[in-house]
Amino acid sequence: MTVRRTGRMPWAHRLGRAGWAAVLVALYLFLLAPILVVLVESFDDATYLRFPPQGFTFDAYGQVFANESFRLGIQVSGVTAAVTALLAMIAGVPAALALTRLRFRGRSAIEAAFLSPLLVPHIVLGLALLLILAPIPLTDTYWGLILAHLGVTVPYVVRTVSAALMSADPRAEEAARTLGASGFTAFRRITLPAIRSGLLSGGVIAFLLSFDETVISLFVSGQNTVPLPVAVLQYVEYRSDPSIASLSVLLVLLSVVVVVLVERGLGLRRSLRSG
Amino acid sequence: MGDTPHLVLSGLAKTYPGADGAAVRGIDLTVERGRILAVLGPSGCGKSTTLRLIAGLVAPTAGRIEVDGRDLTDVPVHRRDMGVVFQSYALFPHLDVARNVAFGLEMRAVGKAEVKRRVGEALELVRLGHLAGRRIAQLSGGQQQRVALARALVVEPSVLLLDEPLSNLDARLRSTMQDEIGRIQRETGITTVFVTHDQQEALSMADSVAVMNEGRIEQTGTPQDIYERPARPFVARFVGRANMVEGTSRGRDGERTLVELPGLGKVPAAGDPVETGRPATVMLRPHRIALAAAAPESGGARGTVLSAAYAGETVAYRVRLGDDGPVLDVERPTGSEASHGPGAEVALSWDPEAPRLVADPS
Amino acid sequence: MTAEAVAAPAVRPVRPRGPGRHALALLAPGIVALLLTYAMPLVWVLRMSLNESGEGGLIRQTVSFATFAEVLSSAHWWNVIGQTVELGVLVTVCTLVVSYPLALFLARTTSRWRGLLVALAVTPLLISSVARTFGWMAILGNQGLVNKTLGELGIISEPLQLANNLTGVVIASTEIYMPFAILAMISGFGRLDPELEHAAASLGAPRRTVFRRVVLPLTLPGVLTAALMVFVLSLSGYVTPRLIGGGRVFVLATEIYDQATTALDWPVAAVLSVLLLALFGVVIAVYLRAQKVLEARFTGPQGARS
Repeated sequence: MTVRRTGRMPWAHRLGRAGWAAVLVALYLFLLAPILVVLVESFDDATYLRFPPQGFTFDAYGQVFANESFRLGIQVSGVTAAVTALLAMIAGVPAALALTRLRFRGRSAIEAAFLSPLLVPHIVLGLALLLILAPIPLTDTYWGLILAHLGVTVPYVVRTVSAALMSADPRAEEAARTLGASGFTAFRRITLPAIRSGLLSGGVIAFLLSFDETVISLFVSGQNTVPLPVAVLQYVEYRSDPSIASLSVLLVLLSVVVVVLVERGLGLRRSLRSG
Repeated sequence: MGDTPHLVLSGLAKTYPGADGAAVRGIDLTVERGRILAVLGPSGCGKSTTLRLIAGLVAPTAGRIEVDGRDLTDVPVHRRDMGVVFQSYALFPHLDVARNVAFGLEMRAVGKAEVKRRVGEALELVRLGHLAGRRIAQLSGGQQQRVALARALVVEPSVLLLDEPLSNLDARLRSTMQDEIGRIQRETGITTVFVTHDQQEALSMADSVAVMNEGRIEQTGTPQDIYERPARPFVARFVGRANMVEGTSRGRDGERTLVELPGLGKVPAAGDPVETGRPATVMLRPHRIALAAAAPESGGARGTVLSAAYAGETVAYRVRLGDDGPVLDVERPTGSEASHGPGAEVALSWDPEAPRLVADPS
Repeated sequence: MTAEAVAAPAVRPVRPRGPGRHALALLAPGIVALLLTYAMPLVWVLRMSLNESGEGGLIRQTVSFATFAEVLSSAHWWNVIGQTVELGVLVTVCTLVVSYPLALFLARTTSRWRGLLVALAVTPLLISSVARTFGWMAILGNQGLVNKTLGELGIISEPLQLANNLTGVVIASTEIYMPFAILAMISGFGRLDPELEHAAASLGAPRRTVFRRVVLPLTLPGVLTAALMVFVLSLSGYVTPRLIGGGRVFVLATEIYDQATTALDWPVAAVLSVLLLALFGVVIAVYLRAQKVLEARFTGPQGARS
């Protein structure tokens, strides 16, 4: 005999599931609320912050580029982030290579040392860098910012590139050696292509971290060299109008574009985990 | 014990929305009290879904499940009283061995002293009494299997369900655990259903075997029935190795049907009769075919050895019948008889019980 | 071809030794970078905390605990430390409560949207916390989304004080640390296996009991890691307390900044930093202890595997 059964779930169970789904949706809303609000605000035509917005315009986006301190901030942050990423790669990639491919005494201690800046609060690092850069004097300069950002970006590069190196099979390199490749050739022809996306993510993460760095920059920047997050923070503290929202949307777009490009190469989540 | 239906599945089906066809397409099964039923089939045939339907982990789209005449179809999993041993064992990693085994008793609000006594007994049954305080991570695969069994049995469930119980063990442990599960089942006398893709396991452990394919049961019977008298080509091929030769029925010859086979002439085969003139498929197990060097003028089936692969206890031959007939697998024990090299002309023979008619589905 | 060429083995030496020339050469740029930009500055902070501030923003070079004594004997600074810890605890509890259901859902779902849903939950990480804090100002302010909506619905006549106080900082910080907590939980939920829940159900446990006896204990290590992370992050959080706090929420982070840049009292700023680091040390020590206790449940007291 074949009895067709539908709607077998007891009603209490179904109610429970609906409630559970409602809780999840509410939590997602909470999580994304500020981003959604910023997005909506960015199209308001008012000169002050109000909710809900009444008009729709792209004016606020124009204001972002009309604002001198934002324009300068984008320039300062862009240059700082690019140089920082480059230096962090120069410092971090060889270290990752040594830590994953060579065996030597004290390896794990050195590895821990390389990752330890992740444990120190930025507010303390910011003060520390202020104390050391102010007397030289390097505060309020590009080089000051770059040096300040280096300490917090190198660990991420080391971690990302190490992860890529560890997932690249060292036996493939050994196989290349048995086929007659020299050590360097084997590395260049076999391992390097395998970790290319890891290298790329390392650089991109360093760039984004530096571009976004707020607290350390607050300490070491002054009036002349003000990176974008600091400019935004100072602006938000005294004024609130849709141009900040538009700027935030532009920054979100920038991160999303960059991350999507990188995510196609290598999981970014792995690098951000427990960051 | 036995003979009274204990677990009865009727028209049991499970469709997954979006998926092609059904995972389980309406099966009927009866397991008698105290017996072991093996559900045998290739992966993806729906056997695990069947087990999860019985356990209540999956809700059926149609059909019913009864134990002792009581309809359990709508009873939620936690009130169904089935002992389940999962393929991964699913032991609770945060509890020690004794607490794992005690879990089901605690759910049944059994008193502390009795829990202690019954957990002890269950662990003795699976011979793990000395490991009661161990963590799951400290156990070997075989020990985990025993804990899973003890945990399922301690609540004295009405039916014991085992999902691929031996698949995670190495070959040596597998035969030990096979004996152990048999012993424990005999000692407890519990009605048992287990699912496997391993025909040897099914044939040697079960009282009856249900062969499943594509969500349906192809044949149910004793291990002998399934192996000696397969009802369908799928069963013949899946359980043991088989030569399937297609021919035409040429009428009856006493109890048997005469089938005209290419390269073999008219061969009498046992099994359900096929009308004269209709196509018929005959199964011949490789080990039931005997080979001899062909005498120049002798009659009967003849063939040419294409290849001979030595495998220790046996030699596996591939023999082409006649000049362009079908190729048969033949398996002969080593040692006692002369071997035949590739190209050798051989005469084939078998006892009259060996060829069997296998009905095509439809 | 010579015999040596044929026999050349691809075996690498495995005996451990000190960093050889290769390793040192490879490590050198990184070590120099970290020494200059991280290790040395931190030592400077320690050194500065032992100085004293003199008249008119001058720093008196000395080695004494006078500044420590000054800070630790002041009710104001104890107040700040208390508020820092209070904020940390509140934010941690709130973040765990709102993150746990989402993390549990994401860890267990078999939906084909899972990848997208995980991405959606962690995307905020990629967005500047200044921008997100700005979003919260627009939501929580007196003219913000919540007060406007409630006002227009006639539910309230006076705006709720959701910004410029601790409440607002807790709400915004909770959201800002949620993605961290969710990620930490998901990666800490590795022991969760749907088959374990099935096993518990087949042994007679109803859904609630399955959660309490199986799911909760198995997810506790992940929750603990998330708790550590959120607590540590919120102890040192600066942007949100400053912007949403509106100058009325005083925590160690805001005070370190003010002492360093406005009051120009570097020794006090350094002492507050050292105190913050000490707080970190205590929290991490507690975490390691708790983790050890939790892990012992899985691996046995001696931690041996067989």
